[in-house]
Amino acid sequence: MPTTPLISGYGLQRHYRRGIETVRALDGVDLEIRAGESLAVIGPSGSGKTTLLNVLAGLDAPTGGQLTIGGQRVDGLSEQQLTTVRRGFFGFVFQNFHLIPTLTVAENIVLPLLFLRRPVVRHEVEQVLEAVGLSHRAHHYPRELSGGQMQRVAVGRALIVRPRVLVADEPTGNLDTVTADAIVSLFLTLVNREGLALLLSTHNLELASRCDRIIRLKDGQIVPPVSPPQSLR
Amino acid sequence: MNYGILAWKNLARRPVRTALTVVGVGMATAVAVSLGGFNLGFRAAISRSIEQLGFQVMIMAKGCPYEAATLMLKGGTGLLYLPESAHEQIRTDPDIEAITPVFLGVAEKPAGGPEENTGPSAFTLIAGIERESYAKMKPWLQFKSGPGFDGGRWFSPDAAAEAVMGFEAAEYEQRKVGDLFYITVVPHGKTEPEFHAFRIVGVLERTGTQDDGTVFVPLHTAQRIFGREGQLTIVGVTLRQFNAIRMREFEGRWMSIPEVQVVSLEQVKGALVSLVGTAQTMVAAVAVIAILVAMIGVLNAILMSVYERTAEFGILKAIGAERRQIFYLVCLETLILCFAGALAGSGVAAGGAGLTDATLRRLLNLGLTQPMVLITPRLLAAAIGGAIALGLLAALWPAARAAALRPVEAIRNQE
Ligand SMILES: Nc1ncnc2c1ncn2[C@@H]1O[C@H](COP(=O)(O)OP(=O)(O)OP(=O)(O)O)[C@@H](O)[C@H]1O
Ligand SMILES: [Mg+2]
Repeated sequence: MPTTPLISGYGLQRHYRRGIETVRALDGVDLEIRAGESLAVIGPSGSGKTTLLNVLAGLDAPTGGQLTIGGQRVDGLSEQQLTTVRRGFFGFVFQNFHLIPTLTVAENIVLPLLFLRRPVVRHEVEQVLEAVGLSHRAHHYPRELSGGQMQRVAVGRALIVRPRVLVADEPTGNLDTVTADAIVSLFLTLVNREGLALLLSTHNLELASRCDRIIRLKDGQIVPPVSPPQSLR
Repeated sequence: MNYGILAWKNLARRPVRTALTVVGVGMATAVAVSLGGFNLGFRAAISRSIEQLGFQVMIMAKGCPYEAATLMLKGGTGLLYLPESAHEQIRTDPDIEAITPVFLGVAEKPAGGPEENTGPSAFTLIAGIERESYAKMKPWLQFKSGPGFDGGRWFSPDAAAEAVMGFEAAEYEQRKVGDLFYITVVPHGKTEPEFHAFRIVGVLERTGTQDDGTVFVPLHTAQRIFGREGQLTIVGVTLRQFNAIRMREFEGRWMSIPEVQVVSLEQVKGALVSLVGTAQTMVAAVAVIAILVAMIGVLNAILMSVYERTAEFGILKAIGAERRQIFYLVCLETLILCFAGALAGSGVAAGGAGLTDATLRRLLNLGLTQPMVLITPRLLAAAIGGAIALGLLAALWPAARAAALRPVEAIRNQE
């Protein structure tokens, strides 16, 4: 029996005006994401993957369509109101890690708690460090870490607020295949163990295929899955 | 984890820029504190110096009140004289509490004596006074005691060759009670200098006023040796009730004496204050420029730091920071910068107050004996508060910019 979706979007649009021309970065996307589900978004560069993730996560406001996050209609909300909806509901991981270089691993991980005015609970931090495999690096600075380790810190920072949805925009884009594989494994473990939803965009079909569902974007629209012709099977 | 650590670590990221900004704030604060200290100190110094004259009102020959002021404080030259009869008239005024006639003259110290003195101070200020009324006007005058000074007293009224020395005069001339002191004077209307010897009968304690450098002799002796019998330099007066109305009434009663002007020391104070006012305006202009430069420095440092961290602020907002939290963070960084700078600058100004005082003294020789730079805790608190307020003012715009960043754009533009 399907649970109510954490996020649902209908006819989602994100148009940009560039002079007289309109860029349809997102052009009528219907989508639902439920808890414990992993969804991979693939598509060529410029197809709208980042835009879709940002809109679904309340980082960017859709210019059309309906969007519900956590049971609350959010289309038409101001940026400030979106912040309130977003806080604590989403955890973000980016391609370029975006760690704060002046903070240690542990400090980077607990940073969101400061803004959410939540206390830092020591064993929770230890749990997260453990989960991302960085217990022995807690007091290192980002510059002392490898790319894969930096991305693990970013995952830890996303997890510390106990989010419902993990949003990862090309999280493996800057990592070698082995490390990328390990990061995706980490994500899937978390989805299974914690019942998170995972929204992952990637160029890597192999990684995408490890998720429960794949959607393919092209020019801001979802392309229906095409079964390969019999002859190629 | 807290905002303080976050702000501090960010400032530490660019140590040179942070240090330069702090130095800028520090310099501006130091200038402002020194100027404020001068403003406070110099008014207080003028007030104290004038209070210590003991008079509220001076009767003097018509002339410039500025001259009157410096004359009293420094013992100037080019003295003007008024007739003794004016004193006789004015002393009958019912509002007078005390009145004392003073004759001032500048004597030369004889060359070729056993203790020959050919320095710049080969001159001595001689004050001819009436001992009772003078001592009544200045009740704080006391005789120095100790070996060589014990038994100090005022000259007897009819002793023509007795003198009392001010503290510094005695120290400078190395005279003790019982010693002789020599001067030469060219009497008014004559061309040949005349030689005089005085027996020192007392040396005064230090007062911090011009009295310290003066040699006191009986009034009539002074008038006689300077060849100006029946003339006075000033008449010092205190009134029973000193206020603007009483002062004007008093002035009105005695303005009629033709050669005489009545000068309230409040007036003199005002004149001195405005004399220094011009200099203060110039220094204030420098301070304003220093403050503006420091503010621009703060603005620049914070703005650059905000620009550099565009993506970072985008991330902070993505992970949950609200506008006001970002705004607060940027303001906190500014606050740390300004507080550190203001603290350092105040320290420098307070520590260097003596030096500032000496410099000002060389520039504006008003003969004030009190310190001209007075740095109070309130002044320091005001300076630090002001630095923080102005710094935050400079940070408003960068902080608002950082707070208004939209996470998507901030992250995208920096990728
Ligand atoms: N701020 C903007 N103004 C105008 N056009 C934009 C803006 N942001 C994105 N676009 C356009 O929207 C389209 C989708 O961009 P998006 O970044 O979502 O693609 P993507 O699938 O994530 O690509 P990539 O794989 O290269 O990351 C692109 O054509 C892009 O040029
Ligand atoms: Mg993208």
